[in-house]
Amino acid sequence: MARSAQIISGSAEIDVRLPDFVQRLPVGTYRRLNPTTKLVVAVSEALVAFTVRGWTGPVAVLIVLALTAIAARTGRALLPFLIATIPLTASIVLVNTFLFPGATDPIFGIGPFTPTWTGLEAALQATLRVVAFAMSVAILVLTTRPDDLVGDLERRGAPRGVTFVIGATVRMIPRILQRAGEIAEAQRARGLDTEGRIWRRLRGVLPLAAPLVFGSLNEVEEQTMALEARAFSAQGRRTPLRLFPDDGAQRALRWTLVTGTAVLIVLSIVGRLAFLP
Amino acid sequence: MSWLSRQFSTRVVVLIPVAIAINIVLGYTVQTVLKLPIYLDSIGTILVGVLAGPIAGAATGAASNLIWQYAPGIGGGTIGPFAIVAGVIGFLAGVWGYLGVFRPRPTSGARLWLAVVVGVAIILLLASRIYNNPAYTDPNVGGYPDWVFTAAIAIAVVASFAVAAFILVRRDAAGAWVAAAGALTGIVAAILSAPIAAYVFGGVTGSGTDLIVAALRQGGADVYNASLGQGLFSDPIDKTITSFVVFIVLASLSDRVLARFPLGERLVRPAPAA
Repeated sequence: MARSAQIISGSAEIDVRLPDFVQRLPVGTYRRLNPTTKLVVAVSEALVAFTVRGWTGPVAVLIVLALTAIAARTGRALLPFLIATIPLTASIVLVNTFLFPGATDPIFGIGPFTPTWTGLEAALQATLRVVAFAMSVAILVLTTRPDDLVGDLERRGAPRGVTFVIGATVRMIPRILQRAGEIAEAQRARGLDTEGRIWRRLRGVLPLAAPLVFGSLNEVEEQTMALEARAFSAQGRRTPLRLFPDDGAQRALRWTLVTGTAVLIVLSIVGRLAFLP
Repeated sequence: MSWLSRQFSTRVVVLIPVAIAINIVLGYTVQTVLKLPIYLDSIGTILVGVLAGPIAGAATGAASNLIWQYAPGIGGGTIGPFAIVAGVIGFLAGVWGYLGVFRPRPTSGARLWLAVVVGVAIILLLASRIYNNPAYTDPNVGGYPDWVFTAAIAIAVVASFAVAAFILVRRDAAGAWVAAAGALTGIVAAILSAPIAAYVFGGVTGSGTDLIVAALRQGGADVYNASLGQGLFSDPIDKTITSFVVFIVLASLSDRVLARFPLGERLVRPAPAA
């Protein structure tokens, strides 16, 4: 079942049949929201978790995130993102609990290490903030395709250079990652030392970096020609192929979140939120 | 506005995603394959800054960190909030590019030795500013353990030797300027990232450098000063190495490729006397 898009050329309206996969929209209560709405939600969650200090900010954001995760049915896919925070959170808990400056309320004393309650409280708050941040990123990434987000931003009038940079970077990373792996293996085969003493490994920086940078710079030349040949620097808007439905409720939600977050940040900076736990 | 749009020619717009990918991939590779205690995640940023200008460099730096944070697959981590720092690094690189810091300056004889002396003097001057600054020696403010100062001297001496060797082996006075620009960028980066690390992450970032933070706090420094102390250790070294990598890359590119970028004319070597 193919939907039809109306492409306006001059004054004549031409009905063009597009294949189904071009316009198929994501389904589900959270997933089918407009991509820009999901971006605004994720960014304001991150900002609130970091700027509203104490327990209130991170805990409130985590509750919202839990509800969102249920609505979006992300389920077990969140687990890798949670595991990825462990090195950081473990470091935060250890350093703050044992080495909190000026804390005088020891939990117990063994030898030179004295964990303190003040330190533990600060550590747990910082951990919750980091987990809230990681989950806000995870839910956005799991529910929104980068192409959809970039396409919707361009429809809203974002400059073409900006949308190109975001879209091209996301596509470029896996390719460059693969090339970096190939270069590392090729240099190892030629005797590059990746295990020895620190200054020997330091000498490996250039044999890894130089081929990667040179190869990529060559591609820049070709891509520039290709884009220029396809009217990249032409004036005017492009016609979007995929349209994402938007409605008044979502628009209201976005503006509420943007202004609400801004107000919270200002209140937090001037110290009006100190009464919160 | 023309100066702004000149920094974002189509060629630069194509270079920026490549630079961001290089930042992310090299940062990731250096930390996992070579397992070095440096970041090396700003080669692309400095490259764009030097080739295209301050605003393009700042945009590349900030976008790198934000996209790295949200990139599917290798995203996550703690890089996002440091986008401001990366932006400033790119901006500074643009200024260095404008001033022609990264242009090869082949010399010989007495002038070469003069460059060596200038380069070593700049590094020792920067090191002494850190060493003698009351903010770090005053026990009420920082109160670092003694080994911090010994290590600072050792690193300054090693860096001086490396810069001198680079200038003499390549017969290129630009090494002195590149070293100074890199070290200065690193110090600015450290001063900017300390409050972010302290405020957002409680002073630690989940990487190998946390050991330095822990040691400094054992010595009595507070959260902010421990982060600053760690940054003043890692960042100047990291940014100086990065600057030298970018300089070597640029010096190996042909003038034909360089001259097509907005600041290209400031990067090509002077024409040989006929």
